[in-house]
Amino acid sequence: MESQYFNFQELCTITALPSQTIIEIVDHGIIEPEGNDPETWLFNTRMVSVTRKALRLHNDLDIDWSGIALAISLLEELEEIRQENKQLKAQLNRFIVG
Amino acid sequence: MEFVDYYKILAVDEDADSKAIKTAYRKLARKYHPDVSEHQEAEEKFKQVTEAYEVLKDPEKRAQYDEYRKYGSRISGREDGRYRSREFEGDFSGFSDFFSSIFGGAGPRGSSQRESYGFTSQQAFNQRGQDIETDMPIFLEDTLADATKTISYQLPHREADGNIREINRTLNVKIPAGVANGERIRLKGQGGQGIGSAENGDLYLRIRLVPHPLFDVEAHNLIITVPLAPWEAALGASIEVPTLTGKIKLTIPANSQTGQRLRIKGKGLVRKQGHGDLYAVLKVVMPSDTSREVKAQWQQLASSAAFDPRNEWSK
Repeated sequence: MESQYFNFQELCTITALPSQTIIEIVDHGIIEPEGNDPETWLFNTRMVSVTRKALRLHNDLDIDWSGIALAISLLEELEEIRQENKQLKAQLNRFIVG
Repeated sequence: MEFVDYYKILAVDEDADSKAIKTAYRKLARKYHPDVSEHQEAEEKFKQVTEAYEVLKDPEKRAQYDEYRKYGSRISGREDGRYRSREFEGDFSGFSDFFSSIFGGAGPRGSSQRESYGFTSQQAFNQRGQDIETDMPIFLEDTLADATKTISYQLPHREADGNIREINRTLNVKIPAGVANGERIRLKGQGGQGIGSAENGDLYLRIRLVPHPLFDVEAHNLIITVPLAPWEAALGASIEVPTLTGKIKLTIPANSQTGQRLRIKGKGLVRKQGHGDLYAVLKVVMPSDTSREVKAQWQQLASSAAFDPRNEWSK
């Protein structure tokens, strides 16, 4: 199977972003790569999609990076809660139906 | 072609000032942004709002639009029926035909265009292919071991004449054991074609676990609801319970309650290391119709059991 990890340079290439922007996104904790400095950073596929989402929100809604960091963490929390809610509803249905 | 009322889309008056337009746009853009909104038509709405703002924020474009809005028929008599002002030749892909008919620019080329950002014209000759993301539905049974799946997806393909057309592509993909819902699998080079010497984009498969008729998923654990007869709950029983890999025997202890969870170790989903567990959640159910004899026995039980389930209330 293909490598599911990207180094810093690869992430810049596939997102078409300048390295400075990626550094800023990491500095704001929007994505948290493994490794301590840019030379050893490793990003997984989820971080690629978060980076793209961050970029879309940044460009489309004119939000600065600290606002993006807050928005993304709230969106993730919302997603988890929705998932949990769906799961609990499904379980509840098995209990009250039939 | 249908007339598009940009004022209506942004819900502003015809004489709204630029500040009011900006505020209205920001509000709606936040509401319908596809990354934020759960709204069914979020993407379409967001495009409309963006298009409306693109026109109304720019005094020159707004004036042209206002003129068209008022005297639409007169304009269609001019030359080819469209203004061709240099300033307006930007990347307006994804905007409506209506927009292109007034301001020129390319017609819709798919929302994925929003993924590309700020290439200079020189870079454009060597541009990495577009990454494609697609959903991959997987049955729970198929996550237990490595599985090979066939997927079909649409890929933008650049023709010899430079036009971009969507083509169908089919691939056999190995899905590793233990994939989780929402996980993304990258297939390098299987995305859009690169331009010039640049490499192809990648394909990302977004794993979606298909809901199972019997099992619910909680992280790597599975949950099955087990219906029990009242006497099975009272006296205990040995019953058969389905798992993803066949039936097993489960001992129900005496005096079991509805909602009680029994853990069946190692019969959950596969993790990167080891297995999750299966939880049997007990649910005591009543028989739907009872004969006179059975009813008599319930009555006998009622008088001899001396059980008050609402005992807590009287404290």
